[in-house]
Amino acid sequence: MGRKLLIDKAQIEGIRTYEVYRREGGYRSVEKALKSMTPDQVTDEVKKSGLRGRGGAGFPTGMKWSFIAKPEGVPRHLVCNADESEPGTFKDRYLMEFIPHLLVEGLIVSSYALGSNITYIYIRGEYAWIIDILETAIAEARQHGWLGKNIQGSGFDCDIYVHRGAGAYICGEETALLESLEGKRGNPRIKPPFPAAKGAWDRPTVVNNVETLAAVVPIINIGGEEYAKIGVGKSTGTKLISACGNIKKPGVYEIDMTISVEEFIFSDEYCGGIPHGKRLKACIPGGSSVPILPANLLLKTAKGETRMMNYESLSDGGFAKGSMMGSGGFIVFDEDQCVVRHTLTLARFYRHESCGQCSPCREGTGWMEKILHNLEYGKGKISDIDLLWDIQRKIEGNTICPLGDAAAWPVAAAIRHFRDEFEWHVKNPVECLTRNYGLAHYADPLEAPATA
Amino acid sequence: MIQFSEEKLAKVREIIARYPEGKQKSALLPVLHLAQDSFGGWLSTETMDYVAGLLQLEPIEVYEVATFYSMYNLKPVGKYVFEVCQTGPCMLNGSDQIIEYIKGKLGIAVGETTPDGLFTLKTVECLGACGYAPMMQMGKTYREHLTREKVDAIVDECRQNAALNN
Repeated sequence: MGRKLLIDKAQIEGIRTYEVYRREGGYRSVEKALKSMTPDQVTDEVKKSGLRGRGGAGFPTGMKWSFIAKPEGVPRHLVCNADESEPGTFKDRYLMEFIPHLLVEGLIVSSYALGSNITYIYIRGEYAWIIDILETAIAEARQHGWLGKNIQGSGFDCDIYVHRGAGAYICGEETALLESLEGKRGNPRIKPPFPAAKGAWDRPTVVNNVETLAAVVPIINIGGEEYAKIGVGKSTGTKLISACGNIKKPGVYEIDMTISVEEFIFSDEYCGGIPHGKRLKACIPGGSSVPILPANLLLKTAKGETRMMNYESLSDGGFAKGSMMGSGGFIVFDEDQCVVRHTLTLARFYRHESCGQCSPCREGTGWMEKILHNLEYGKGKISDIDLLWDIQRKIEGNTICPLGDAAAWPVAAAIRHFRDEFEWHVKNPVECLTRNYGLAHYADPLEAPATA
Repeated sequence: MIQFSEEKLAKVREIIARYPEGKQKSALLPVLHLAQDSFGGWLSTETMDYVAGLLQLEPIEVYEVATFYSMYNLKPVGKYVFEVCQTGPCMLNGSDQIIEYIKGKLGIAVGETTPDGLFTLKTVECLGACGYAPMMQMGKTYREHLTREKVDAIVDECRQNAALNN
């Protein structure tokens, strides 16, 4: 059920090779764009499609493209963000690993729209074997005339290079990525100026996520309006969800954003439910940076409506009673998991990944980790919980880049929705070392608000 | 003596050519990977100074990058480096237990190398394999769906390869 536009062909034998990919309809969008559209017309289709950044921020892609400055004689660059490092997220990896030509095709069309003659893929260093896969696909594309000078006689030159990172989540932030592309430490830049004005080597640059750029292919093939008919509201097109945690069928799924969260978790077409007969306790629906929700706020919104797998519904209730689509890294917790322990792993993650520029993040992440460590191992005080709340509140909004917010939000959400689990650790310092808090009331249906 | 072969120097020139004229500093991250792989799996000061010279950078420009990114090893490592993911989604699927098992089996703590120089154990953050947890990175490969049995098999495999190469 549901239309697939990106990974429906990913399991066809040989689809990694140019021959099979071309046979299956590959590179048609390049032909269409270069032969019958102007760069601005390509951007218009992307605007019409309603495509939003698929890396996590969800910014309208067509709008981002229209911001690129076009000073005379200054080269412009498209940079593909393949630094996928948000815990829970492995969907870009799947796309690049199994259907690399889809990304290459999307990059060529997008480069044409933006006027980028040299396009880079910034890929996380740990995806070492995927770099070989991408470079092979790029070489095949060049060999068959889809890259290089005067592509298909269009007068457009383009080449794509892969730039390998070396282990830094912060380099997924676009300005830190550009710093890293320039051979420096991944310290985010203050914006403005935005990359669209001054990006890589001070040149106008657009940075987009892998999935976003791959989506340009079906958008050009079927048209922006058709793409926008899929999905609902401002959640147009399809979204890749990488599902993990305690589910029977972890993996990457492409959804058309009209299904419910409940269907996504429990139906055999998707995650297949929770193994070993365990009950659902909690979920982080969009990568570690988005709020964790208890089961009773996940499957239904605070208003008692069924929660759907789209941007608007997942954000229903704001951070007080909702979460976010984010990157699509969907992490499921069963009743045996400890929210305090998981929050500790995330605090350690953000402390490790903080670039160190901003005091609230540099100091706050380590401080939160220490307190959470004490709480998890039976050495916490009751005042620690409010102290954690205070620290996260003072990081949020006070940093150059969103990593500070991303470090604050999981701690805030865990305390907001699971405070008694934290208190149980403090009040039961010995018992909490040998057993977990369990499901408690986290799946009990909430009272629906009285209707007028 | 830290020195790239002609073949590797050609690779360095190819890497530099990907970036705008005069911006060879951009080649630093890829070239440091090449240097690390070529000179024992880690970056000594000598290696870093060599790379600085190749790219016409000050040594400090190389040191500050090598110390920032987690994939660069600044101390010698074993022949086989096990980098086990310990972030949230892997923790939900037993990564803590796998790490303890590996520590016990190899007799080393996290960050240490076995006395025979074969194995180093590192814990790392999310590797983008959350659906295939628990897992680890070993060189260029991901070893996923780890169980005690799989860990045993991997250790045996490494020991056999090391013996064959001796």
